[in-house]
Amino acid sequence: MKMIILIGLNHKTAPLAVRERLFAGCEDAKTLLPEFLAIEGVAETLFLATCNRVEVIAVIEDNPETIDKLKTTLMKKGGLTDGEASCLYIYRDDKAIKHLFRVTSSLDSLVMGETQILGQAKDAYRQALAQNATGVALNRLMHRAFRAAKRVRTETGIAANPVSVSFAAVELAKKIFGTLTGKKILIVGAGEMAELTGTHLVGNGAEEITVANRSQAQAAALAEKFHGRAVGLEALDDALAHADIVISSTGAPSYIITEDMLRQALRKRKNPLLFLIDIAVPRDIDPAAGEIENVYLYNIDNLQDIVDENVKMRRREALKAEKIVDEEVAQYSNWLKELEAVPTIVSLRTKAEKIVRTELEKAQGWMTGMENGDREKIEALVQGIVNKILHAPVAVMKEESAEFSAQDIVAAARQLFRLDE
Amino acid sequence: MNFENVELIFFALAFFLAALSAAGYLFSLLVKRVMLAKISTWILAGAFLLLTAYLIAAAINAHGFTNLGPRALFAFYAWSAGAVYLVLQFKTKTRLLGAFIGPLVLLFVIIAAGQEAGKTILPEGLQSWLATGHLALSIVGEILFVLASCAGAMFIMQNSLLKSGKFTSMSRLLPSLGDLDRINHLCLLCGFPLLTTGIIAGAFYAAFVWENLWTSDPKVIWSFIAWLVYGVLLHQRLALGWKGFRMAALSCIVFLLLLLTYILVKLCFSSLHNFV
Repeated sequence: MKMIILIGLNHKTAPLAVRERLFAGCEDAKTLLPEFLAIEGVAETLFLATCNRVEVIAVIEDNPETIDKLKTTLMKKGGLTDGEASCLYIYRDDKAIKHLFRVTSSLDSLVMGETQILGQAKDAYRQALAQNATGVALNRLMHRAFRAAKRVRTETGIAANPVSVSFAAVELAKKIFGTLTGKKILIVGAGEMAELTGTHLVGNGAEEITVANRSQAQAAALAEKFHGRAVGLEALDDALAHADIVISSTGAPSYIITEDMLRQALRKRKNPLLFLIDIAVPRDIDPAAGEIENVYLYNIDNLQDIVDENVKMRRREALKAEKIVDEEVAQYSNWLKELEAVPTIVSLRTKAEKIVRTELEKAQGWMTGMENGDREKIEALVQGIVNKILHAPVAVMKEESAEFSAQDIVAAARQLFRLDE
Repeated sequence: MNFENVELIFFALAFFLAALSAAGYLFSLLVKRVMLAKISTWILAGAFLLLTAYLIAAAINAHGFTNLGPRALFAFYAWSAGAVYLVLQFKTKTRLLGAFIGPLVLLFVIIAAGQEAGKTILPEGLQSWLATGHLALSIVGEILFVLASCAGAMFIMQNSLLKSGKFTSMSRLLPSLGDLDRINHLCLLCGFPLLTTGIIAGAFYAAFVWENLWTSDPKVIWSFIAWLVYGVLLHQRLALGWKGFRMAALSCIVFLLLLLTYILVKLCFSSLHNFV
């Protein structure tokens, strides 16, 4: 009997140092896949290695030795000690399928709902295909895993709302301006967070970045990254008059952008909407500025609250996603069971029997004139021919199911005789 | 061939779809799903096509567009509201505006259903393309102003949500402030010249075809005030650069005032324009 097995470790079970080592050891798919396939009892295999997880999925003969060999090969690759072996998990059959589906649907990810993992899984599958390492069971398994991921993405809101402060700022900017194309950004203070937020805004179409900082050199360095302009803090008034989005993150002890300054700046502007993001602690922008017409001020707490709310929502959506995964697992494992020889032989015989019955009924018309004996002879003849024809495929399926490769032949038989229709 | 039944069938189907889309839009607001609003937009597009078919059938039955009945008139109100909204959908992704327009279209269709189908508005001899043009232009112009005010109302809602420093699912559902401001701008910009031409056509019609005194008619005075007020709005926008919240608030106030005076005029005075 064959089974599906999944051996691996992820960010929940293994510390970074272990993951690093294993990831480095598993980088070369060209040598690794043949090595796994060479293990006795391994029919199909595929492995997925990312910075957060390394997983080997294989269709193997159900015996403890094969599992053991797979595990030791993997441990050798990462130089894992016996003590570190506890980081590895081993899942069989339905549990393995479910784990894989949860991984591709990003339910098992550090940031639930992220999209990267699906791309990485697709790459891993492509790699295995190129090496001819997969067969009927794994091909279908991977397609189903991608399908589950797609369903989770479209049928639940798991990836809907941003779960990082900088992306939350981008979403807010879109709700204020509609489109970010051509919007001008002013970054006050050369902080890392401001830089990240600026990068995401530019990625969404914003143009023209100005960096204002006490230290001109730092401002110039950051401005360079965005192909923007650097100014000193004394030019802040003028810069405010030209900006649509202001991100402030200086270490100043008091407000450096006051209500008055903003009112002055607004008078000089054409576009009235102004989005202020104050991620500094203590705050850079006078909270009273939020009261000004057409000015929208968000501080770090506001943004963090939005993110927290979105994380909660993703968790709620994850419950729906788990249901979808369960459905998909059930479907796949049903299909897998049907790949076994016995049910296929039964349905093949039933189908042949049905054909014989219908054809004989059709022939009732011209057979009425015959004697009973003749009619029975014809029926026996027909039955005999059908049995002879079915004998070889049934025998082969039985033989093969005793061996390991029944899946291919059973799948072929189901397709050739259209048993799934 | 008699088109009366065809006309009736088109109208009934349009009624059904308009009701369905209005319900869909309101429900999408309730459950906060954009998908429902998207579906409702397609249903509204269907209602719009059926209204078009109905208007054509009605015109064939009445032998031309110049002597259509009151039902067709209100159907035209619904038709223009649908048309303007659907055009805006190409420009901006503001499906939620439908939560305001959908029920408005339905309201006009309901009023239309209450009118007699056959009767023409104008007596024979007074029917003219000038009158039809006057009505059509004024109606589309008025609808555009209604839309400008709807966008204004939504702007105020979104504004207060975003000002609170939170980001709710309602905020996600409503269109962006930038888009709403743009709609307000576009509607005022297109609506004003249309209403102007409509009023001029009406004046010419009264002077040359009807040869009747019209300046003392309360509805005419009301229309003139509306025209003036929207002119002021457009002026604030173009000349003084009023944008965003102030414009949105003003649009809403003006709309409510005009609605109120319209109802007063309708209740207290008799008018030559009693069919509207």
